[in-house]
Amino acid sequence: MATVVRMPEVLANTGEAVIQTWLVSVGQEIAIGDPLAEIETEKAVVEYVSEVDGIVGRLIAEPGSTIAVGEPIAVVLAPGETDADIDTAAHNGVAVSPTPEPELAAVGAAEPASAANGRRLFATPLVRKLARERGIELESVNGTGPGGRIVRRDLERLPVAEPTPTPQPLRTAAAVESHRQATGFTDVPLTPMRKAIARRLTESKTTVPHFYVTAHCRVDELLELRRNVNAAAALKVSLNDFIVKAVAGALIEVPDANAIWNGDSIRRYEGADIAVAVAVDGGLLTPVLRDVHTASLSAIATQTSDLARRARDGRLQQHELEGGSFSVSNLGMFGVTEFSAILNPPQSGILAVGGAVQRPVVVDGELTVATVMTVTLSADHRVIDGAVAATWMAAFVRRIEHPLTVLI
Amino acid sequence: MPREQRLETGSAWIELSTTADDWKAASPQLLGTMLAELHLIRAFEEAVLELAGEGLVHGPAHSSIGQEGGAVGSIVGLRSTDAVNGSHRGHHQFLAKALTHVTGGAIDPAAAVSPKIQRVLQRTLAEILGLAQGYCHGRGGSMHLQWFEAGALGTNAIVGGGVPMGAGNAWAQKHSGTSDLTISYFGDGASQIGSVLETMNLAAAWKLPFCFFIENNLYAVSTRVEEITADPRLSVRGQGFGIPSWRVDGMDPLAVHLATEQAAERMRSGEGPAVIEVEVYRFFHQNGPYPGSAFGYRDKEEEAHWRSRDPLDRVAREMIALGLIDEAGVASVRSQAQDAMTAATAELLEDDPDDAGKRRIRPELWPDPGFVDVGMRGDASELGSLTTLEPTQHEGPWRSVKFVDAVAGVMDRRMACDDRIVVFGEDVHHLNGGTNGATKGLAKYGENRLVGTPISENAFSGIGGGMALDGRFRPVVEFMYPDFMWVAADQVFNQIGKARHMFGGDNPVPFVLRTKVAMGAGYGSQHLMDPAGIFATSPGWRIVAPSTAADYVGLMNAALALQDPVLVIEHIDLYGIADKVPEGDLDYVIPPGSAAIRRAGSEVTVISYLSMVNHCLEAIEATDVDAELIDLRWLDRASIDWDTITASVRKTNAVLIVEQGARGSSYGGWLADEIQRRLFDWLDQPVERVSGTEASPSISRVLERAAIARTEEVVAGLEKVRAAMGQRGASEATGYVLGASEATGGVY
Repeated sequence: MATVVRMPEVLANTGEAVIQTWLVSVGQEIAIGDPLAEIETEKAVVEYVSEVDGIVGRLIAEPGSTIAVGEPIAVVLAPGETDADIDTAAHNGVAVSPTPEPELAAVGAAEPASAANGRRLFATPLVRKLARERGIELESVNGTGPGGRIVRRDLERLPVAEPTPTPQPLRTAAAVESHRQATGFTDVPLTPMRKAIARRLTESKTTVPHFYVTAHCRVDELLELRRNVNAAAALKVSLNDFIVKAVAGALIEVPDANAIWNGDSIRRYEGADIAVAVAVDGGLLTPVLRDVHTASLSAIATQTSDLARRARDGRLQQHELEGGSFSVSNLGMFGVTEFSAILNPPQSGILAVGGAVQRPVVVDGELTVATVMTVTLSADHRVIDGAVAATWMAAFVRRIEHPLTVLI
Repeated sequence: MPREQRLETGSAWIELSTTADDWKAASPQLLGTMLAELHLIRAFEEAVLELAGEGLVHGPAHSSIGQEGGAVGSIVGLRSTDAVNGSHRGHHQFLAKALTHVTGGAIDPAAAVSPKIQRVLQRTLAEILGLAQGYCHGRGGSMHLQWFEAGALGTNAIVGGGVPMGAGNAWAQKHSGTSDLTISYFGDGASQIGSVLETMNLAAAWKLPFCFFIENNLYAVSTRVEEITADPRLSVRGQGFGIPSWRVDGMDPLAVHLATEQAAERMRSGEGPAVIEVEVYRFFHQNGPYPGSAFGYRDKEEEAHWRSRDPLDRVAREMIALGLIDEAGVASVRSQAQDAMTAATAELLEDDPDDAGKRRIRPELWPDPGFVDVGMRGDASELGSLTTLEPTQHEGPWRSVKFVDAVAGVMDRRMACDDRIVVFGEDVHHLNGGTNGATKGLAKYGENRLVGTPISENAFSGIGGGMALDGRFRPVVEFMYPDFMWVAADQVFNQIGKARHMFGGDNPVPFVLRTKVAMGAGYGSQHLMDPAGIFATSPGWRIVAPSTAADYVGLMNAALALQDPVLVIEHIDLYGIADKVPEGDLDYVIPPGSAAIRRAGSEVTVISYLSMVNHCLEAIEATDVDAELIDLRWLDRASIDWDTITASVRKTNAVLIVEQGARGSSYGGWLADEIQRRLFDWLDQPVERVSGTEASPSISRVLERAAIARTEEVVAGLEKVRAAMGQRGASEATGYVLGASEATGGVY
């Protein structure tokens, strides 16, 4: 009767291997001990010999493809059998060659002992409780207790990332360690805002090629200008309002930077809509200031404070959160001197602004003290190349360090 | 032809009857009081039967109608400090005692119902109906009627079951230096049962002021006395035990009274017990308002004959003849009694709004269902004023002592400090400390405090129970082997274990029972049980099982101080151990709810007690499993330390319950059941158990060893637990981890 040949576990603790080369062909007569294939693992290439006599009926595995241990790779027919028998054998999956034991390996065993295809799951009461609390799907956990029961240790030694069978010993150590010193924790349910932040910024960070350009701006003159402006203005203008205006000015001056990745094209903007990051309860929002390049400072100040207030009250409208090619995020008031931000998709630039602090600087070869503010531009390299970013940064810094140009 | 000499018992056996002169000589007050009590009881019993007929008495109603003469005649002359107890058919004795108590033994037939009497009638009826205002809060009913203040110790539903406890009360009366006495009433049906006969022997041997009052009403349910015994003159039993006996016509209350006076004189003088047999007749069937003839086991002629001897009519007739009362006066007593019952009934019943023409119990009079488990045992507050000590934290000096010497030592100390403690057991007073030396040195307290008992576990534990209920003494009873509990099972479980709860939840029962587990001694299948499992089924009992001498001191002190029955389990394997106790202190207690952690660990919670604690320590050492070992100390449901168990299982997620004895009577079953319900979500494997095998251990050394658990069996249990933890090769994985981080500091 036909024999289904399955991928053997040529190397302990590996869950898969690759048929590098078939050494037989369909219809070839083989005997026990004849080489069938060269099987490649990450460590070695092994010649796998036949364990039955017969005629090669079908070669199921493609050379070069990765097959999990235990999966069928070929069918060997007994004399007198036909193609129909191949199908029957392959369908029934009658195993003759060694099926892998559920290995009591440290992590990432190949076959989950309790398969999800409707079979009963055996897990201890403690395991069920922990699985509920931690959101673990028990179907994918290998049970090493009696009868394949999932026990506490099986949960502790779950790989933290995807269940690829790569030995990750330090993670095991961490799991063992956390078992020894279990600390208290609370699971906070996710708000829609948190979910959105998580999704969007993960997508941004992982799909957009970020690069960073840093500049240290001398802001003494800017601070002096702001004092003078505020002495005359009804609504106080903040440092950030100047920064936003400078950003807009630089974008107009360097139009290559005022663009976003549009999938199959690059969209260049004519005006500058700038998003400002506002910290709200439980997260952050980025409402968008419109036409910053033409707005006066006081108009920017008014718009910003209104948007920020309504952001904190949760009364922003959707359209106020959309658009813009660029964001500004300022953590200076928290004592941060320098940081880099994550792009807000689909924007191509975000400026991370640190706090203005007194620092030693060199002027004309002399050591002196100046108020310095460090800014870092994160840019989308699909749209903005290094030279463009540098040019933009130069334009921005010039405006900051010669602040009267901001007012123009 | 052999020589024969007739032997005589030397004990008097008299049939007593009254003459006309006796009636003349009787005080009018006595006769009047008897007439009143007889009528009150008769009216009461008729009311009960009426209510039973209406379906308002839940459970049986054992009428004493026809038998009042025996009760009234014997009780009317008693003191309030004298005591009585009775059987399931005990309303008449209870009422006679209560009525005599509240009136000081003097009732004027012309004004027979005082408010106090009305109250007695109502509360007794309420108790029979199961209502909260009853003497036992409605718990006891007809068959467990108790009112200590009046000297009514409690009727008993087990035939003969109350007799040993009555004798215990008599023991307390005698050894308190009083001349009080106790009368235990029982019937012809009870005169053959072991507890009665065992108690007759003990009462005579110990000269207790105790009267065995046999109400021979000729029938036990439907069985005539002639069918079940060779000599139906039941007082003949006194001859067998050296007890003087009287036989009296129970339908002649004066005769009963005179016989009781004679017997009382003997008892009060310290001469010993007495037997009084009265011939009476219950006019109705065993239970309920129908005559026995309706059930076919006797005929109407017989019933009519006995009715003509009605004790109420007899006393009335005699009194009329003596000019002490007239017909109208008798009728008046009768109607006063009936009116009293009508009034009492009216307080307890009302018209049923759902069923016209019928009555029902006033709903507000029922006890609160929430009262159901209140008072199974005390709250241990009596330990509050005592000094506790946790021996594992004792930092002062220790004194070396053999375990068994600590057993005797702490008892010596307690007996020296507390005159109330009395030790009972077989051979405890000889052999320099009994069969194992556990009572060594106690003989100095004399034979009234260290009492060697005959082999009568049922009777002497019952006597201890009666003493404990009386409260003037604190009995410590020894069962030489735990299996002897079966001989005494009724007294231990049905009487002592239930006494507090059954009679309403208020009576302390300060009773200590000591026994020793003897597995390994080769005494065979009937001597080698561990009593913990069986005692754990009885909620009235607390259980301690000390594994060290220092623990024994603290636990025994607590047991002696508690107002509950406490079983103290010892073990022959522990007796000879060279152990230690805190120097200079034999007074500390280890209170309930304080288990000891003998070894801290993280992988499994091992729960054990007594000698198996040491075996667990050995096994844990041998297997290298990181086990946490809890020594329970207190084993019963009320006293077990759930806090320690819970904290441990939450840490380890695995439990192994270890005990030595056979599985059938084992202790761990109920504990495993509780653990899996309380701590289900914390269990990473089933609760595992180590115990003996199925059958009781037998005598052959090899077979006995195979039947019980010791260290090897605990090792096997620990291995099983370890295997169920999964992820074999844990230690290899740890080595792998360390190797990787040492080598590269990173992942490869």
